Amino acid sequence: MISLTYYLACSAILFLIGIYGLIVKRNMVLLITLELMMNVMNLAFNDFSRHGATGFTDPLAHAFAIVSMGIGGCIIALGLTITLHVYRHYNTLDVRKLRRLQS
Amino acid sequence: MFTSLVDALLLFTVTTPGLGLLAHKLNWKRLVETHATLGFIVALIFLTDIYREVSANGILVIVSDFPPNSPIGVCLEVDALSVFMAAVYVLIGFIVTVYSIQDLDGDTGVPGYFALLLGITAGMIGVVVAGDLFTLFLFWEIMCVCSYALVAFRKEHWAPVEAGFKYLIMSGVGSLTTLFAMTLLYGMTGTLNMALLSKALSGLVGGPWIYLALTLFIVGFGLQAGMVPFHTWLPDAHSAAPAPVSAILSGAMVMTGIYGLIRILFLLFTPFLGAWRMIMSVFDVLTMFTGNLMALLQDDVKRLLAFSTIANVGYILLGLATSSLLGLTGSLFQILNHAIVKVLLFLCTGAFHRQAKTRSLQELAGIKRRMPVTSTLFILGIIALAGIPPLNIFWSEWAILIASVEEGMLTFSIVMIANLVLSVAYCLRVIQTILLKEETSLSKKASEAPALILLPIFVLGALCIAIGVYPGPFRVVAEEAAQAALNIQAYVQAVLG
Repeated sequence: MISLTYYLACSAILFLIGIYGLIVKRNMVLLITLELMMNVMNLAFNDFSRHGATGFTDPLAHAFAIVSMGIGGCIIALGLTITLHVYRHYNTLDVRKLRRLQS
Repeated sequence: MFTSLVDALLLFTVTTPGLGLLAHKLNWKRLVETHATLGFIVALIFLTDIYREVSANGILVIVSDFPPNSPIGVCLEVDALSVFMAAVYVLIGFIVTVYSIQDLDGDTGVPGYFALLLGITAGMIGVVVAGDLFTLFLFWEIMCVCSYALVAFRKEHWAPVEAGFKYLIMSGVGSLTTLFAMTLLYGMTGTLNMALLSKALSGLVGGPWIYLALTLFIVGFGLQAGMVPFHTWLPDAHSAAPAPVSAILSGAMVMTGIYGLIRILFLLFTPFLGAWRMIMSVFDVLTMFTGNLMALLQDDVKRLLAFSTIANVGYILLGLATSSLLGLTGSLFQILNHAIVKVLLFLCTGAFHRQAKTRSLQELAGIKRRMPVTSTLFILGIIALAGIPPLNIFWSEWAILIASVEEGMLTFSIVMIANLVLSVAYCLRVIQTILLKEETSLSKKASEAPALILLPIFVLGALCIAIGVYPGPFRVVAEEAAQAALNIQAYVQAVLG
């Protein structure tokens, strides 16, 4: 069996990629990084569920992962809808242009 | 399934869009509005049932049947704190729905709006009745998704769309932060049930992971509560959303973040009381000062009220930081009072915007002469917000102050008094502008708002005075809720049996 450390390291790397995308990317499709980070959590959850006790996998983590994938889908759908409307008003997908409220 | 209250609200949420289609085909006016109002009346009835059950039998535990006879699966736990918060949400939801009936006449997508309003209330109540972190997260996301859509509801303007996107990204990251913390707790203890977690964590000495989880929870819930420095979404979202939505965001949804903090900090992180008390004390000072100082500079009335919400969150956090019964009573009482006053003020701003087509304080000058009833109620709300006795907010702020002095946090009491003085300053400026200044071209054209819009505002104004004059019974309810939050033993025993 592959040890828990590898799974967690993989989660950590994916999570850092998500954070990097969220901070650096200028395109509004950076929404996808939210989805990535959420799925990293699901991965970590399932790692923990397998390694809590030997020979037993906690079904709670699977339920959690399925529900949270559904939730992630909702958020992305809504985010893309808002992105569409932003494009109609601003004619750009650059997040740095969304600054009219501050001025 | 999720207590009769949440089930009813979810059912009404699902049926509203269908009825909207039916109403459109058959050309029945006000069908959706009546349906949504009916939904909240049903919720109020179920709420009284649950209240009676909880006050008679103590904590109510509902465990799903799978896996059988085990508290590992989905679990709901309703105690006095849950009932208190649910009562605030249902009350606000009901009043906002009645207000929205006429306020949304010129908008498209009205059935969707009412469905989202019912959905956000169902989500918030789901959060407060959740007994495990899984259920809490699920309802939290229902609430968040509904609120993103509500903020960006008037999508034909640029401001709501921009605010909605900003809010979605920030709140999404906040939810992920809480999810991260839940994952860590699950990894450490192997359960998500709050009672079992509380028991498992009580024996823990400390270590980097538990402190990481604590920090992530505070950031995640604090972001939703508008805690400085995670508050930047709040003024944008509150000012760009339609007035009733701002009301529900400020009065109810921000307070769900506070509820999350109360539940998590008092129930799970009891052994780390010293650590989180210090963190909360620092954050509350930052939050109070930022809210009040920024509110002094605003010209947009809704932005001003949004910053005042941040300041009020600061007072509530101070009550939390005292971690005494009196302080928590003050915080919960402040949640109720702040909800009533803020909803009153946001709905008044909505009425001004509807009649005078402006939100700028300078352009609203002298509107008292054209809209006497709305302005009188608005000024009543502003006086209550300034914490002047005998109106409701005074009593809760007083309780928080006394608690902080009793707990030996004298510096923080002085900071809070300084902030109360600052808040009086901007309240006086608003009163002076509305009441005494010369009318502008926009405020001259305004006329009094229709009766259906004034009715909910009037009810809130009456509540404001009623709680101010007779704080006793309301305070007792808040105190019961605070006792339930502090009584960890009972909460854990209710699940373990």
